[in-house]
Amino acid sequence: MNTAPTAPRSMLELAQDEMIMKDRIAAVLREKHRTIPEIAEILGYPTNEITVWLFGMRRYGEVEEVGRPDVDGYFKYEWKDKKAEEAAAEEN
Amino acid sequence: MKTNKTKTDYDVMVVGAGVAGMETASSLGNMGYKVLLVDKKPSIGGRAILLSKVFPTLDCASCIVTPKMAASAHHPNIDVKIYTEVDGITRNADGSFSVDLHQKSAYVDIDACTGCGTCEEVCTVTVPDEYNYNLVTRRVAHIPFPQAVPKKAVIDRRGEAPCIHTCPASVKASGYISLVRAGRYKEAFNLHLENAPLVGCLARSCYAPCEEDCTRCGKEETVHIRGIKRFFSDHYYDEHPEPEYGPVENQLATKVAIVGSGPAGLSAAFYLARKGHQVTIFEAEIQPGGMLRTGIPAYRLPNEVVDRDIKNVTALGVQIKCNTRVESAAKLKEEGFDAVFVATGASDENRLGVEGEELEGVMGCMKFLRETKIGIAPNIRGKTVMVVGGGNSAMDPARSAIRMGAQRVIICYRRSQDEMPAHDWEIQGAIEEGVELMLLTTPKRFIGNNGKLEGVECLKMKLGEPDASGRRRPVIVEGSETVIPIDLAILAIGLKPSTTGFVDEMDHERGLLTSDPETLQTRDPAIFAGGDCVTNPTMIVNAIGQGRRAAFYIDRHLKGESLDVEFESLLEKTDKDVVLEESKNFRSRPPVLQPTMPLEERRRTFECYERVMSEEEARKEAHRCMNCGECSQCMECVNNCPAFCIDFNLRDAAKSFTVGSVVMSTGFEILDPGSKKALNYANFPDVVDGAQMDRLLAPTRPYNSVLRPSDGKEPENIAFVLCNGSRDHTICNPLCCRIGCMYAVKQAQLAMGALPLADVTIYYIDVRAFGKGYDEFYEQSKAMGVAFTKGKVARIEKLDNGNMEVYYEDMEGVGGMKKAEHDLVVLTVGFLPNTDAFRLYKGGELAGNEFNYVREIDPISEPGRTSVDGLFAAGAIIGARDIPDTVLHAGAAASQVSAYLETTRN
Repeated sequence: MNTAPTAPRSMLELAQDEMIMKDRIAAVLREKHRTIPEIAEILGYPTNEITVWLFGMRRYGEVEEVGRPDVDGYFKYEWKDKKAEEAAAEEN
Repeated sequence: MKTNKTKTDYDVMVVGAGVAGMETASSLGNMGYKVLLVDKKPSIGGRAILLSKVFPTLDCASCIVTPKMAASAHHPNIDVKIYTEVDGITRNADGSFSVDLHQKSAYVDIDACTGCGTCEEVCTVTVPDEYNYNLVTRRVAHIPFPQAVPKKAVIDRRGEAPCIHTCPASVKASGYISLVRAGRYKEAFNLHLENAPLVGCLARSCYAPCEEDCTRCGKEETVHIRGIKRFFSDHYYDEHPEPEYGPVENQLATKVAIVGSGPAGLSAAFYLARKGHQVTIFEAEIQPGGMLRTGIPAYRLPNEVVDRDIKNVTALGVQIKCNTRVESAAKLKEEGFDAVFVATGASDENRLGVEGEELEGVMGCMKFLRETKIGIAPNIRGKTVMVVGGGNSAMDPARSAIRMGAQRVIICYRRSQDEMPAHDWEIQGAIEEGVELMLLTTPKRFIGNNGKLEGVECLKMKLGEPDASGRRRPVIVEGSETVIPIDLAILAIGLKPSTTGFVDEMDHERGLLTSDPETLQTRDPAIFAGGDCVTNPTMIVNAIGQGRRAAFYIDRHLKGESLDVEFESLLEKTDKDVVLEESKNFRSRPPVLQPTMPLEERRRTFECYERVMSEEEARKEAHRCMNCGECSQCMECVNNCPAFCIDFNLRDAAKSFTVGSVVMSTGFEILDPGSKKALNYANFPDVVDGAQMDRLLAPTRPYNSVLRPSDGKEPENIAFVLCNGSRDHTICNPLCCRIGCMYAVKQAQLAMGALPLADVTIYYIDVRAFGKGYDEFYEQSKAMGVAFTKGKVARIEKLDNGNMEVYYEDMEGVGGMKKAEHDLVVLTVGFLPNTDAFRLYKGGELAGNEFNYVREIDPISEPGRTSVDGLFAAGAIIGARDIPDTVLHAGAAASQVSAYLETTRN
């Protein structure tokens, strides 16, 4: 059964959402490590959009992958508390 | 160094710093020629530096290209100008060329920038990352890519956001909106302080011209900028009842007197005190604030907010002397002040000039508002009040009278509602609260008994021809007199400057003090005047802007610096149509409604009827901002840059040179696979093009592994589809791209290396492995297990499980249509000619071939020579080619350039 193609939202529109969405993704990852489909299900957004925002966060060290992918091929991601890490680094 | 006999600035200019440009420039530099290498991008390296590896050797692209980049950038004979556009090239009679360039501003001091990336991390605006072919986002402040040469930051700015451009104080609305969207409220407040210190007052009572010019009005309705400001100012003041700062460390001995503690005076004091000057404000009233305290009703601006805003000023050490009327600036100078700023405002009231105006019960609106605010207004409970006038200053007393329990409140205006100068929302608010509009009516006289008002005799009016203001002139209807019983009449027919005393010693015109409109300096160099006493009554934010301007020039005057400098330089306002066009398919974002007090409650209280947004509402509303200027000017990059290298005052710079010869090496364009609709590139995230796949495979990839863009899964079954838009008459591109087969083979091998368990299939028409080592490379991939299917792919569809179904014509077996399932599809796409060269050469016609590439006159014996003597072409600008052929052609073009230069000089 094929599905009719519907154009995903443009990258520019997704980019404009990132500053709002990254806090929501961070909140979800603060609870536990999760895959992109799991984050998408919790937040109610398409997986391709979560992918864009999550890797925007990863670029700046806000999230990181954990270990190897699961049997379905998905990595889990964890939230990195950059402020806490920076504070710890300063203390050391 | 070769002898330059024709006195050119450079022997040769090379346009485009990809592989061909760098090779040509290096070859010529090594020969001793002085080379100008120009590229419009912020880094040299072209497209090749973004590749994963190169075929057939599978050498790392960075390892191949970065030495060439470094060699070009550091070559003693090569001047590299990145982020520079060529505006035009013309050939001179002596065989040299005149070139016009403009260097785009990156808003970064390139020499000081260390490429640390801090600006990028703190930037609050996100855009698609073109260096990763839009697979991920990047920030507006950015370093193009990790191997960029030079590795310097760039800030994207396409203009001034309309909200900033239209604000009289240039408050960076898009900046603080962006900060609120990112959840940085304290930073938003501090950003506001940079342009206006009275944040709370503006958040509650600014008429917000920014909202009228908001681009979002072209889609739904304005972003509620003032509501967002109200949120972060209240949030900040709740957390900080007192300012976090004190007087600046570097205190100066210079003394400045400011006359008037309204918005202009307070603003000037704030910025002067920040510069270290000793500032004293003289205020005639018993409390500071001017119009803010006495002229704006508490339901819009409570005095506690005025007080807290004033603390922002006094915390810097500013002294405010209340109950001290000053009417001579010269006297203040005599008392030892080095400079004086006169900002007495405009609170004197105009009179109607009709009979009975002196009666008890007839008063000006400012007097009424002042007495109301300090609690000494006449008791009007149950009485009838008439407010004469149709401007915003009529709405305030009318709406105040409702709250004071008046039984009936009438606004009497001589024109129709369409001509009322008050804002529509003010008029609607007044009507909602029960104010009656008595239009086309004017008072003829006030009728009293025993010196006390009892009624107003009014005349009906009709509209005649338009007057100088463009509004239709009101004409009296003779014999239309009517008497209306009125207990209190409030005249709101305009205000005039409060300049008593000053007009005797300063230039003035029609009651307004005159000062230089740019510097606000008066005839006496030490005396400045600004705000409403110079401009006539305007908005608070206008007076604040005047105050900051005055502070800027007073500071320069006191330091003995020239005043012949620009106060602040804004970019051109962003073209809203461009912003609306790029967002035309975006989802609608309806406004967050500003919560307000219920009407019945509102009528009974002077409490603010506009409620503050919740944090969630404020961020949601901020999210509606369209980033008109690209950079929002949140200034986080400026505030956090450890090298202090970001400067928003930098501007594009035009440059002209004479060069002995020109080499065009602007490369090629990549066909948009979206033009092949049946392949659904635009619809399915897991249908990517070759350039995107190279980024997924590169060590500096945007993801943590080779993942599919739709959901971050490691693909297990990848399809490469060759010849999309090349050798394709349906889109008028009959040429072979010459690299598609080999880069697909390269990517297939790399994918198998990265994902050992993945199946890889290449769909081809015929494989062209013509270069040195190419056929062996092809055979190697087959030996690794890459499946080659001879078949033309017709369309790609998506299955319910998220995978792609590839439909192809079987060209090898029994024929007919077949289909196969894959979880990632890569389209190798055709090249298109880069036609920039035809546009840039303005000295006549530069010949192209039938495919619109630059034509080589004699490719066999004189490679790189074009139809314009002295103008050469190198690399893919003359036709698609791989990297080895590009390097070879660039070397040949360099030889041709050398021969030309030697010929023209001897």
